[in-house]
Amino acid sequence: MTDDLTISEEEADILQEIMNIAFGKAAADLAEIINIMVNLSVPKIAMLQAADLHGYLMGEMDGSQGISVIEQGFWGEFRGSAFLIFQSGAGKELISMLGSDMESAFEAEAADVLERETLMEVGNILIGACVGKVTELLQDVVTYSPPRVIVENKADDVLADGLFDPTYMAIVLKTLFCFNERNVNGLLFLVASQESIAWLKRALCVFMEQYE
Amino acid sequence: MIRKILIVDDSPISRRMLKSCIAKDMGYEFHEAGDGLEGLNRYKELAPDVTFMDLTMPVMDGATSLREILAFDKDALVIVSTADVQIKSITNVLEIGAFLVLKKPPTKEGVCDALTMAAEQRR
Repeated sequence: MTDDLTISEEEADILQEIMNIAFGKAAADLAEIINIMVNLSVPKIAMLQAADLHGYLMGEMDGSQGISVIEQGFWGEFRGSAFLIFQSGAGKELISMLGSDMESAFEAEAADVLERETLMEVGNILIGACVGKVTELLQDVVTYSPPRVIVENKADDVLADGLFDPTYMAIVLKTLFCFNERNVNGLLFLVASQESIAWLKRALCVFMEQYE
Repeated sequence: MIRKILIVDDSPISRRMLKSCIAKDMGYEFHEAGDGLEGLNRYKELAPDVTFMDLTMPVMDGATSLREILAFDKDALVIVSTADVQIKSITNVLEIGAFLVLKKPPTKEGVCDALTMAAEQRR
């Protein structure tokens, strides 16, 4: 393990495995709550400066298309913000998957409010379970801020350069999850301070000691 | 008796974690594969006594590889080791014929118990 704040290839591999385990837990929590099967893909992890995140994300998606973003802050030894990005139409797909009760509510309630609440709930479950499992495996405890949702805005506008503190590091977990044969693309990433990255490197080292 | 162990997982770190949970003084012979298809081919070539199989993998997923291995050898002992802990995923692989399912991350106790059960099954 290196002393600087650069994440080594081995540390990235360990973190990818931990994120994989955490996302599996998150998917199981979601599947249990909305009684669906979540087919998981092989996740890919990327580490970059938050200042480079906008360019990276624009390379991953069409900037002119609508996206929805759920953001939630977390505080512990590991602190920062988690972002879950869904592609256009994901909110309505999720509503239709949540069953007839939600569809009835969809008629009664303003569509945009229901979509916002659905995305917030799904995002809250996925982010909470994922961040919670990562920090549990690394022996940390975090508290969360309430989630914030941005629904169906142009990616280029939502992910403007000013959204992230440029001094922070971003840990991007790219994964595709498919609900009951319906594809919903998701991108989950954590943006954390340099202090958190220093803690993370130590925690990854401690985590692997049990597997020496 | 367990002698040959095949570990199928696309993550080298995950293979290392699992391997470290297995007792070193038992004379086991370890083999590894990085995806379900390679796992299937290695199984046919090696005829391992026990296979640890991840589920979410590129090229061929673990459930497909498990099904193919059991079609080749109905007595294969395949222990699924996975981060996909959804009840439906676990039920699915047990219905296909997995011997056991271990949730990731592996623990020494969990892996040891699984190998003990596999050894009893092999008697």
